[in-house]
Amino acid sequence: MSTETTDVGAEREERGRLQRILSSPFLSDLLSNRLALIGIGIILSMLLIAVYARVFYDLGALESSRLGGSFPDRAAPGWAGGPAAANELLFGTDQAARDIFRRTMYGAWIALKFGTITVGISTVLGVTLGILAAYYGDVTDNVIMRTMDVLLAFPSLLLALALVAIFGAGLWKAVIALTLVYTPRFARVVRGAALKVLEDEYIDATEALGAKDPRILFRHIMPNTLAPITVQSTLNFGLAIIDIAALSFLGFGAPPGSPSWGKMLANGVEFGLQSGRWWMSFFPGLFLALTVLGFNLLGDGMRDALDPRMQD
Amino acid sequence: SKRFIAKRLLLLVPVLFGVSTFVFAILHLSGGDPARIIAGQRASEEVVRQVRQDLGLNDPILVQYGRFLVDVVQFDFGNSYQVSKGNPVRQVLIARLPVTIELALYGQFIGLALGLPLGILSAIKQDSLLDHTTRIGALAGISVPIYWSGPLLILFFSGYLGIFPAAGRIGSTIFLDNSWTLLGMELPLTGMVTIDTLLLGRPVAWLSAVSHLFLPAITIGVYSMALVSRMMRSSMLEVIRQDYMRTARAKGQGAKITVMKHGFRNAMIPVITVVGIQFGTLLGGAVLTETVFGIGGIGTLIVSAINATDYPVVQGAVLTFALLFTLVNLGVDITYSYLDPRIQQ
Amino acid sequence: MDAEATVGERVRAYAWPRAKLVGGAVAVGAVVGAALLAALVVAGGWAVVGAAQFAFALGTLAFGLGLLGWSGSAMAGRGFENMQEHLDTNTDWTEADSRRAMARVGGFGGGAMLATGVVEFVALGV
Repeated sequence: MSTETTDVGAEREERGRLQRILSSPFLSDLLSNRLALIGIGIILSMLLIAVYARVFYDLGALESSRLGGSFPDRAAPGWAGGPAAANELLFGTDQAARDIFRRTMYGAWIALKFGTITVGISTVLGVTLGILAAYYGDVTDNVIMRTMDVLLAFPSLLLALALVAIFGAGLWKAVIALTLVYTPRFARVVRGAALKVLEDEYIDATEALGAKDPRILFRHIMPNTLAPITVQSTLNFGLAIIDIAALSFLGFGAPPGSPSWGKMLANGVEFGLQSGRWWMSFFPGLFLALTVLGFNLLGDGMRDALDPRMQD
Repeated sequence: SKRFIAKRLLLLVPVLFGVSTFVFAILHLSGGDPARIIAGQRASEEVVRQVRQDLGLNDPILVQYGRFLVDVVQFDFGNSYQVSKGNPVRQVLIARLPVTIELALYGQFIGLALGLPLGILSAIKQDSLLDHTTRIGALAGISVPIYWSGPLLILFFSGYLGIFPAAGRIGSTIFLDNSWTLLGMELPLTGMVTIDTLLLGRPVAWLSAVSHLFLPAITIGVYSMALVSRMMRSSMLEVIRQDYMRTARAKGQGAKITVMKHGFRNAMIPVITVVGIQFGTLLGGAVLTETVFGIGGIGTLIVSAINATDYPVVQGAVLTFALLFTLVNLGVDITYSYLDPRIQQ
Repeated sequence: MDAEATVGERVRAYAWPRAKLVGGAVAVGAVVGAALLAALVVAGGWAVVGAAQFAFALGTLAFGLGLLGWSGSAMAGRGFENMQEHLDTNTDWTEADSRRAMARVGGFGGGAMLATGVVEFVALGV
């Protein structure tokens, strides 16, 4: 699939499109939405944290080390009466005496990375299926879309669990399972948007000039479905992060020592809940919920800006 | 009408046939070898071959499929490999089913009890502070995962305040009989502790059961509240916008209230239909809630069965979930047909 | 409907398009199933029995989905319509469309199961 043709005409067309996007009411609407701005702020902060943790922290140490061995396990944060100074050990330590602060920071990287992969692959699959359905119509359309609808009706976590039962446990397998769970949502949105484009006459005109199928699909239909796809991706990003973490929490995703938020919450429940060691569950969950909230706020704002029906 | 209900009941057959077929695929698409799992890692090739023969895994797959369907009709999935080694899966499922039903029912109830009024208020006072708070609340509700809200509730209400117990279904010193008597007849118990304790007439035990169930039910209820309130708001807004509502509002306060009541009935109809579909999500939530609160229902069973590659238990549990989901949707459909006379063809 | 249509004609008018739809799907499924089986054996180097069982299991996925979707459309159709209207963008989902599509998917899966099942039966017998 090569869509990258770099002739001058395409480039000019590209620039025109960019300008159109920048001056569109969509962006100004979005930027005037305070909640969406908060969402953007949260997401950017998480991204910063994630990249920082990825660059400066050593994953191997986070998975196993005892932080120089000076602190006991399950120690409270320094400022909450823990063994360290008030500005040290900000989030306390877990059952293996690992620094929860650094692990939580690294968790942002894991969540965003696997969230991106899940959403990315399902977007590609969904876009392909949705555009095919819209373009070919008739039986192809009906079979693809109704199948997507049935899959959509399955509760996402239960479907993911059934798929994990087939594939087996592991972060990558969890991602594959969730990819299949999320694809239908994209297919549906893309098909709707593509149908709208197809209704415009210029596709007919291009077709009359003798352009071949793939050219129409990728040069004309796909770019015009970008906006709804972006909204859908944003809305589902948060859900994907929750579901990946849920699978890790249940023991089917990240491996035991991994500093993923889901696994850390599982540790918090197993080793900290009965004894009231709140910091073990509180901090990873807080970051998880904040990230998801960020994506939900932004996604909602984008949808409102895009869908005039919601504005009246 | 009776015909309507009979038709819906008949639909149960293809639904369960379909799910069973899926469930059959779980075993045959996953790479694991059941015979090896049962015999153990160190068993000799000979033993494994014998187990394989006994399980009928050497038969043609059409025969295996047919046999599986016949077994499923009798709710018979064979014996558990690992989780409850050697015991019939049916027995394990029946013991655990009431636990999950109890949790899901209370959770659904709380979700509706909180979500409906919030959605209505939010719609009536559209764009007020309350509306915005509710909408952000609903958004936060779906942003906070159960496996975080659950632990937080435990840490606060159980660890810090010490009001509610942190785990389990009933006090560890309380033992319930296996049956209760009504008019001299010995009857089996339901397996749902909040009901059983009442049947047995033990108020202290009942209190214990209720306080144990409170936090898990709230956890799962708040989760389902988010969708219900969003749905109710949207549906109510639509009703309010209709013309006759506008004219009624123009007539004054009294008319407004009567119409609101009428509007509520109309707005409820789409919400009810969605409750059935949303129940599936609730069951997914039950898996997480049971794990957080250490409640031994179908949810925790399915998790440990997948972990142990205990296929018969996985198959049985999946089918049980599907059965629950279908029955709830059937109930929803029948309720709906009474509320909306248009479809009583 | 023609008032003078005989019972036989009416049955045919009802059954024929449906039979054609499902039958066509079964045929396609059988061909695809057999082709997959052949590909697994020839190109993948699988044993015939193992390949047939695998292809059969894939067929059950489509068959199960079709059955479930077909009956589910009838069962929860209104819920879907309402949910899409209130929480999502409108789509043109209809129960009839959905059932027709699911009959195709289910028929396809059934055809695949039949073809691969029979091949395995024969292979085991030989």
